[in-house]
Formats: sequence, C-alpha cells, structure tokens
Amino acid sequence: MTAAQGEGAAPDVLRLYTHFGAFNLKTEDVIAFPSGLPGFEADRRFVLLSAPSYEPVQCLQSIDAASPSFLVVDPRRVLPDYRARLNQSDLTRLGAADETSLLWLAIVTVNDDGLYANLRAPVVINPARMLGFQLVPSDSVYPLRHPLFAE
Amino acid sequence: MLVFTRKRNDAIIIGDGIEIRVLRIGRDSIRLGVKAPPSVPVHRLEIYEQIVEANRAAASRRDLPAAVAARLGKKSEPTT
Repeated sequence: MTAAQGEGAAPDVLRLYTHFGAFNLKTEDVIAFPSGLPGFEADRRFVLLSAPSYEPVQCLQSIDAASPSFLVVDPRRVLPDYRARLNQSDLTRLGAADETSLLWLAIVTVNDDGLYANLRAPVVINPARMLGFQLVPSDSVYPLRHPLFAE
Repeated sequence: MLVFTRKRNDAIIIGDGIEIRVLRIGRDSIRLGVKAPPSVPVHRLEIYEQIVEANRAAASRRDLPAAVAARLGKKSEPTT
C-alpha cells in the first residue's frame, strides 16, 4: 500500500463488473457477514445489486474469496404473510434492538424446471449497521424449495 | 479428532467460553447443552449441511440472470 492510498486519499468508489451488470460501489454499500454464508464461510463482505430488468429479484454479490453471487427475493413477495422468527442472540448478532427495520432476502435457485426460493433459511440484514447473516432454523414451517412465480 | 470420556453433568470447554455439557444420557441419544457467545452460531450439523447444499446449488452460474429474465418474461440486458 502506498501513502496515496492512506487515509482520506483512498478511492471511495469501486467499479464492480458482475453478470448482473456493472456497478459503482461505495464503501457504505458493503454489508458485513461476519460468519459468511453456510458453504461460503470465507465470504464476509457482500453487496446487494438491483437491475430494473430483474425486478423483483436482486443479486447478493460477494466481494471476497470465491465471490459467489446469489439471486435473492424478498420472501414477502413470495408469501405476503411470510414471517421468520429471530431470537435475542440473532438480534445481538445484527446489532438490532428489534425486528422492525430488518431486510429479509430468500435465496433463489434456478433449475431447468423453474425458480425456487429458499424460504427456510432466509438472509437477514440490519441496514442500519450493514450487518447480516443467514438464519439456519432448527425447525421452520417454510420449505427449502418454494416454487417462484408459478403460473 | 479429540476424544473425551464424560459423565452426566460433565462438560468440555472450547476456546473462550464455548461450553458443551452432557445433560442426560439415554439409550440411543444424549442431551447436550451448549453455551456460546451470540457471535458463535450453533446448529445441528445435518441442518447446516442442508443449507450448505442449498446455497451451493444457488450460487452463481454465468447464465443465471438470463435464466431469470426469461422466466420473468423480460429481456436480459447486456452487462458491458
């Protein structure tokens, strides 16, 4: 690292090219996942990308390690009364006082026969702290593979 | 793998403050209590592995956005 990259001089914008599109990212766009995601434990920093042509699907893109990206959708766009439960230590992990302002995302899988949303293990993010993790519930009424946009 | 012999109510401790205690011993199962800080998630292995598998299946394929756009009946935009 050179002196020019030190405090104040570091460029605040990163140009990110993904197969979801090209994006200018600021450091405040980065969401920290201190435990990564199951199977991708080394990926600790993600950004949430949107493109009008994929609405309501968004892309949760890692900027670490293997840089996987995941298509995600608000589970309430899939089931309007969707509600996953968080306990006190979940809220502590998110640095959140309560559940009111949390962002929920269900990971989408693309199969030859269609799209499926993982409603059992949603990603939850506290936008106020830019902190997130994937909930791994020991019991859930929601399926791992819920058909998406079924006609 | 480290192997311990423990009796009922005995415990082991891992790192800073992760405590695993044998609460009850049955014929085919034992009941364990786990004390860990909130930053250390604790899961049943088989459930965690299910989510690992689901995440690996969901992780990026180059043609993903196009596949989604097709499903949504929208046109995929060129990315460059």
